[in-house]
Amino acid sequence: MIEADGLSKRFGSLRALDKVSFEVKQGEVVGFLGPNGAGKSTAMRILTCFISASGGTAKVHGYDVFDDPLEVRRKIGYLPQRAPLYGEMSVWEYLSFVADMRGLDKSTFKKRMRGIVEVCGLAQVLGKDIRNLSHGYRQRVGLGQALVHDPPILILDEPTSDLDPNEKAEVIRYIKEIGKERTILLSTHNLNEVEAACARAIIVSKGRVVADGPLDDIRARSGKVRYVVTVHEKRVLDGSSKKPPTAQEVQEALLKLPGVTHVSELPTDDRAHSFQLMGALGGDVRPELFALIVQKGWLLLEMRRESQTLEDVFKVLTKGDERKDRGRRHVEDEHEHEEEDAAAGAEDEADDEGDDEPDDGGEDDGAEDEGAEGEGAEGDDEPGDKEEKAPAAGKAKKG
Amino acid sequence: MSTTLTIAKREFRSNFDSPLAYVVICLGLILLGVFFFMVGGGFWQADRASLQNLFGLGPRGLSLLVVPVVTMRLIAEEKRSGTLEMLITLPVKDWEVVLGKFFGAWGLVLLLIASTTLYPVLMFKWPWHLGALDMGAVFAGYVGLILYSGAAVALGLLVSALTESQVIAFFITWVVLVVLSFLNMVTDGVGNPAVRSILTFISFDARLTPFARGMINTRDVIYFVSVTVGCLTAAFHALERRKWA
Repeated sequence: MIEADGLSKRFGSLRALDKVSFEVKQGEVVGFLGPNGAGKSTAMRILTCFISASGGTAKVHGYDVFDDPLEVRRKIGYLPQRAPLYGEMSVWEYLSFVADMRGLDKSTFKKRMRGIVEVCGLAQVLGKDIRNLSHGYRQRVGLGQALVHDPPILILDEPTSDLDPNEKAEVIRYIKEIGKERTILLSTHNLNEVEAACARAIIVSKGRVVADGPLDDIRARSGKVRYVVTVHEKRVLDGSSKKPPTAQEVQEALLKLPGVTHVSELPTDDRAHSFQLMGALGGDVRPELFALIVQKGWLLLEMRRESQTLEDVFKVLTKGDERKDRGRRHVEDEHEHEEEDAAAGAEDEADDEGDDEPDDGGEDDGAEDEGAEGEGAEGDDEPGDKEEKAPAAGKAKKG
Repeated sequence: MSTTLTIAKREFRSNFDSPLAYVVICLGLILLGVFFFMVGGGFWQADRASLQNLFGLGPRGLSLLVVPVVTMRLIAEEKRSGTLEMLITLPVKDWEVVLGKFFGAWGLVLLLIASTTLYPVLMFKWPWHLGALDMGAVFAGYVGLILYSGAAVALGLLVSALTESQVIAFFITWVVLVVLSFLNMVTDGVGNPAVRSILTFISFDARLTPFARGMINTRDVIYFVSVTVGCLTAAFHALERRKWA
């Protein structure tokens, strides 16, 4: 339904998009993810024929965006970022204006409106001026105008930005409802929404696609599972004559377990030792952990296993690039050279995407390295909340 | 083409959603009345059954007050607020957007011009008969006014397509229109005959004088029409530019 092939876009010297290719099949709800300025909106504007690509081609519903812009626009419903609507019009007026522009006759429009009012929850506000509506309602009106002509494809650019959590949940619910029978490309930087509404995600960063696939695959991209183990520092199991363990003892013992790659201590109070372990994806070291702790006679307070959240993967995938670009910006003379490096890096990452790649493990390690370095650079420049939420993979490397 | 009409209708109606259009129209009509009947001798002193004064004041009033206000937001405001993206990603061609906007704004100006037909009707038909009016001259005067307003609105639309700021669009349009509409007042003082003939050639008021006297010159008609078409074409290209910038 949507095929982008090598889309590039330059704004002066800035590469907004760099050979972006992806495909959205019929009936899919795909999340288009990336940090701000990654090129999500640019890609969407090219797909909706608002701007032209500097290179590459794209087809929507079989029509080329360059050759048949009108046909493309007839097939899509588009909600631009922040839902820009004519504030002076009432909701009904605005929707009927859009219907007129799309060549719908009055009776079809009224029939369609019944459905739209229900799906988007607009019954309360039909007569109100748009400028007096809250952000949430504006987004709903924006969704409504995208649905007026019953398009097979919807392109929604950050439909949930600027909304409060309740409104976000509402809009996501509407999108899920709409997505039952339509192809949707949905851009956002909020990962929870992607997890709620989409089965597949495309992650872009600095104008390149860094990951594309089902959410589970993307989650598995870091190839690591994280365990947290906490043992009591002062007491041991009843009846045992052993001394309570020191932190070093525990760490060494944990590191000896088969399947554990990294161990790092987590901050705790003086009653417990808490450690973070990294193990390979697919494996499970919990039985061995339990056996070890029983054998040593330690008092186990907590043990849990977490797969990587999408958020962690997102950070790992998009931060490595940030570091490269930072280097690129510094010296103008080295611009081209650095850019080549960056492009090579992107190719590595692109290779990485192939699930059937034989040397998958090795590549993953590379990706992880980038994550760790990116995090280091980040720490220097921007101390604060990002440091706390640093990806697990990065921390493991440090420890 | 129907989309052009839809855009024009929306544009025309949106003028009445803010008090600005009402204020401009009322103020325009009041000022026209004051100037026509009282200032500088006015209609009564001239003591002639002629509306020539109206066709001299009309265009200048439109340039000074009405057209820049009506055209300033046409595209600039849509660019700033982002609604342009919404509008253009509907199945509509760029030239239809430009034409729709043009007709929407021109429609409002034409409405204002049409309301001045009250002058000849009330003064010379019913209830008053202030003399034998030369209807031919009045007709020609209105033709001139309509042509002029088309050119002025197209010019304002072009300026609005070039900027994102309504204020900048207003001032540039205002300056350009005022210069063009009062140019003939200064051309006599220009020594260089070549410069003078150029200034006379582009001057709106020099072009309008024959219309007010009842003379429709093909050259003047073509001048105004080509200014209109030229500005609309340029506005179209200014709008297209977003694709590549």
